[in-house]
Amino acid sequence: MKKIMILLFVSLFTFSANSNAKSITLGWAAWDPANALQELTKEFTAETGIDVNFEFVPWPNFADRMLNELNNKGKTFDLLIGDSQWIGAGAVYGHYVKLNDFFDKEGISMNDFSPATVYAYSTWPKGSENYYALPAMGDALAWAYRKDWFDRPELKSEFKKKHGYDLGVPASWDQLYDMCTFFQGREIDGQKRYGAAINTERGSEGITMGVTAAMYAWGMEYENPNKPYDMEGYFNSPQAVEAVEFYRKLYEDCAPPGHSDAYMVANLDAYKSGQVAFQMNWYAFWPGVSKEDSDGRVSGFFANPKQNVAAATLGGQGISVVKYSDKQDLALEYIKWFARPDVQQKWWDLGGYSCHNDVLNSPSFPTSTVYAQGFLDSMGIVKDFWQEPTFVELMLPMQEAIHDYVVNGKGTAKGALDKIIEEWVEVFEADGKL
Amino acid sequence: MSDKKKFKGLSDKAVAWLFIGPSVFLLLAINIYPLIYAIRMSFTNFYANKIGREPQFVGLKNYIKVLNKEAIWEKMQVTANFMFWTLLLQAVIGLGLALLLNRKFKGNELLTTLIVLPMMLSPAVVGVFWTYLYNPQVGLFNYVVNFFYDFGSFDMIGSSELAPWSIVIVDTWMWTPFTMLICLAGLRSVPNYLYEAAEVDRASKWQQFIYITLPSVLPFLLLALLFRGIENFKMFDMVVELTSGGPGSATELASINLKREAFEKWKTGYSSAFAVILFVTIFGFGNVYVKVMNKIKER
Repeated sequence: MKKIMILLFVSLFTFSANSNAKSITLGWAAWDPANALQELTKEFTAETGIDVNFEFVPWPNFADRMLNELNNKGKTFDLLIGDSQWIGAGAVYGHYVKLNDFFDKEGISMNDFSPATVYAYSTWPKGSENYYALPAMGDALAWAYRKDWFDRPELKSEFKKKHGYDLGVPASWDQLYDMCTFFQGREIDGQKRYGAAINTERGSEGITMGVTAAMYAWGMEYENPNKPYDMEGYFNSPQAVEAVEFYRKLYEDCAPPGHSDAYMVANLDAYKSGQVAFQMNWYAFWPGVSKEDSDGRVSGFFANPKQNVAAATLGGQGISVVKYSDKQDLALEYIKWFARPDVQQKWWDLGGYSCHNDVLNSPSFPTSTVYAQGFLDSMGIVKDFWQEPTFVELMLPMQEAIHDYVVNGKGTAKGALDKIIEEWVEVFEADGKL
Repeated sequence: MSDKKKFKGLSDKAVAWLFIGPSVFLLLAINIYPLIYAIRMSFTNFYANKIGREPQFVGLKNYIKVLNKEAIWEKMQVTANFMFWTLLLQAVIGLGLALLLNRKFKGNELLTTLIVLPMMLSPAVVGVFWTYLYNPQVGLFNYVVNFFYDFGSFDMIGSSELAPWSIVIVDTWMWTPFTMLICLAGLRSVPNYLYEAAEVDRASKWQQFIYITLPSVLPFLLLALLFRGIENFKMFDMVVELTSGGPGSATELASINLKREAFEKWKTGYSSAFAVILFVTIFGFGNVYVKVMNKIKER
């Protein structure tokens, strides 16, 4: 009986101690970098005694879950690693805490972070010195290719004979197309292979992120730089139309069968299962791909190829303190810790993509992994989708119209872009921007 | 005062209200109030995500916009096609299966249970696993079709011609058992003496089916189709999981479009008008259908 009483007492004590322990909750998407962050955060808990709970939401539901939470002024999250496009809504609707005073007080300088990431992940209005997030995870859309196939002498010579240049990292989208069609339907090691696993997903943001990789490379601008929200002739310029037509050609001629609603995981699966020569995906996935190829024989990586200009679709996120949190002080303590250069270095070492200049400018960085140089190249040329508070309303018509044209084969590229502009004008009008 | 005395004072009407009161309250709170609220919103330019912005009265603007939007009519057409083919196939196959299972044979109960199984699954789960079955490279569906005739590789979900059929096939697979069960109940309620009398009158099996079976089972079949029609008009989960409304908008039913307009684009006023139009449509069709059904029953 005495033993039982002691056990009961200890249990009660432990429960009460736990319930009094300092803890915060961090929300992010469920993917490889989130696991790396969880690992890294153990050091924060060891240093500060603050427990960090994680809630990772699968990508297809990530925006819905988090934005509903913010719109409802929920207190579930103290820290949120939100997509770059959310920064406008986070600032305008007051979901995120403005961090300027905190940064000044703690001596955290945004000059210590890569300018492209500060612009994309932290500022609102864009380019201003109002900071609502600390750059947490740099990312851009890039490509992985089957280096082992590319290295085969018989394929190399056949390709050179056919196209007059070497089979290797494509220098342009035209070359990418040549290589994709070269592998499309080709039998390698007794198995039928295909060209490229590209983004075609309809439900969230997949096909938009994919097609803009081409549109940016063709030189598309969303709006007149001198007249904001004037999109006619910019977003539907002849170059933009050509890029969308090209993307459709790439889908029709080079995608594996059944790749009509594919995004991150589907592209990764198609690549890992040996179906395709190329996959389009975020840098965030390259540590995982690379880990399974320790000698670097199978996979190679490269930044988005240029066509008319060098450009890449921006991914990545900043870490923000949620305005509705009751534990803002603890959340800020986490940000202070995370901004430290030594923590940022460990973040990169564990598979996260640091945006800190000390990490990126280190002489050993470009050779630290096989994809590090590509990451550096990409972060210098990134472009992002609208970061307006209404970005979801802007994203949906683009998803529908582009999917309708590229996958469904309906209408023309110009018609699709015109339709998107029509819907965007309506959104901007409702938002009082036009 | 004893309990007995207290209740003795309640009139029959009061007792009746006591029983139906909670249900009426819930009905008003959950169905009628939101309906009235949605009707009110449909005359405004309200955006539920624009915090602090007061909705303004815009008259019939939202209704005019919905009715003049080409994309809405495309979605209505997709919905109409989906409903027509699913109801037709479920009626024919469901009745056929009911006629089969109405006969006594070994394994009848086991076969009935197996046929009914798809209906017990969650529509979202069904949507997810049919995406695998339809996979053109490893899916069982392509394999089975090609076993009978070599069509080569075809993509049910990725092709705009085939995708509408992909959702029809899955819905038919899932819900034909429902039609079958209702028809079976109808068949089992037909008195045997009618067939005995028909035998005496030397009626053929076909005549027995046309003059006895079909008229008896028709009200049941129509009832099943009414339920299925209402369900399919608001079909959402299975199609979202299977095709996300794609490719493009080839399988974007009115209900999916409504959800996107209301809870992704947050056009609350506009989508309320769309919802009211859908409600009036289904209410109108439902009423006409019930009247026709009652006439058939009275015959």
